[in-house]
Amino acid sequence: MANVLDLRRRIRSVKNTRQITKAMKMVSAAKLRRAQERALAARPYARMIASVLESLRRRVDLYDERTGELAHPLFLTRPEKRILLVVVSGDKGFAGAFNANVLKMAHQFIEGNPEKEIDIEAVGRKGRDQLRRRFPVAAYTEQVDEQGQKRPVRGARQAKVELTGDHPGLLARLDPKRVEGLARGIVARYAHEEIDAAYIVYNEFKSVISQRLVVERLLPLIELGAPQIAGAVEPSAEEKERRAEAALSAGIALEAADTTEAEEEAKKFGTAGVDYLYDQPAAELFAGLLPQYIFSVLFHAMTESVAAEHAARMTAMDSATNNASEMIDDLTLHMNRVRQAAITKEIIEIVSGAAAL
Amino acid sequence: MAEATTDRLRVRLVTPERTLFEAEASAVELPSKSGYMEVLYGHAPLMAELGAGDVTIHGTEAAENEAGGVVRLNVSWGFVEVLPNRVTILASDALKPEEIDLPRAEQQLERGLNLLKQAGESVEASDEAQRVIFEAEAKIASGSGAAKAH
Repeated sequence: MANVLDLRRRIRSVKNTRQITKAMKMVSAAKLRRAQERALAARPYARMIASVLESLRRRVDLYDERTGELAHPLFLTRPEKRILLVVVSGDKGFAGAFNANVLKMAHQFIEGNPEKEIDIEAVGRKGRDQLRRRFPVAAYTEQVDEQGQKRPVRGARQAKVELTGDHPGLLARLDPKRVEGLARGIVARYAHEEIDAAYIVYNEFKSVISQRLVVERLLPLIELGAPQIAGAVEPSAEEKERRAEAALSAGIALEAADTTEAEEEAKKFGTAGVDYLYDQPAAELFAGLLPQYIFSVLFHAMTESVAAEHAARMTAMDSATNNASEMIDDLTLHMNRVRQAAITKEIIEIVSGAAAL
Repeated sequence: MAEATTDRLRVRLVTPERTLFEAEASAVELPSKSGYMEVLYGHAPLMAELGAGDVTIHGTEAAENEAGGVVRLNVSWGFVEVLPNRVTILASDALKPEEIDLPRAEQQLERGLNLLKQAGESVEASDEAQRVIFEAEAKIASGSGAAKAH
């Protein structure tokens, strides 16, 4: 049986661990608050760009009357043979099942489309590391084209699923410029028919309690305005309860600030029932708006994923702190029993020794 | 919302990251892709793509106003919706003049010029270079204007 000294040492070490998890929880709570604000601040733009695009699409014919040409290549739908999948995971661990769940969803998606060629763009370090172990990285070679310019040319495909790009550090400081670059890349690949569809896997963040994993279709644009959800995993009631508990103990409001009024107004953007004058021809407006729309969907997904990551870490660290407390209680009880047993034993020895005299 | 004043525009400037400006004003100057235009109360509904340049908002009652309620903001790319009583600007990027980093804008201009040199005959590359140059020039113009005003 362990002696009192050993038990005391163990209690001390668990207490230290509890200190650390508690601190991590508070840090995550503070970061979550900031991430939540950013996610909320990013919403009006996302809503507005969606509604202006929607209204433009309703008013303007997709096909040019005279030439029969499509207003923009992004509206073109092709049979899905090559798919681009953007996987948004976290940069760091210690967030419970957050990263594992994102990757599970991505793997399910890949297994659900065994015949198709899939390119993966990994955002977030954790997901990238795991995906890179699993799938080969696409080979690019630099070639000089006829204008004397160097440009990367993709080598032959080694496997059905390949990793075409990663974006380390993108989530740490969400820079709209970099997200825009990613969006433009995706649009260009679609327009050049390198891919037939694009999907994104990420954690949606509505409030601290209400989060879910979704697979959303980025391209082709079939329905505008409403997110094109291709699959989602809702958290269980038990998980929601855990999250609510963690949020309360960290002092975070459960429901995000009321933004319904601003959202209502944002929805109306560009949808007034009047005929607009268009400063540019429709095709030009589409050409400007569509990449911006893809950007806004991506940016929105990333801000939400960052908030969800912090929320997941906060919940995980809250659980860890609770478990440590429980463990300390158990160990203290055990230690007291051991100590009591030792004292009793000594008394018995003294008493029986005295009786023997 | 009480619409007490009848000849005021509600102006809103939204970027992907934040809502930069929201207030009532009497007139707005916008850098449309095809040139500057000014919008007054009662303008016909209009939708336009924005280039890079300054949005100048006249006659605001915002507390931060200097020089007769004129607010100047540098925007790069975006869209604007004009309704008779409302102007909503969706900018890809927007900065207050004092936030502009002039040395960085100069660097951007240089980068743009280099891009243009390398672009050769590729239309896409030279378009991209033009965009960078245009944006940098607008930033420098509005940034140095701010420096003079102080």
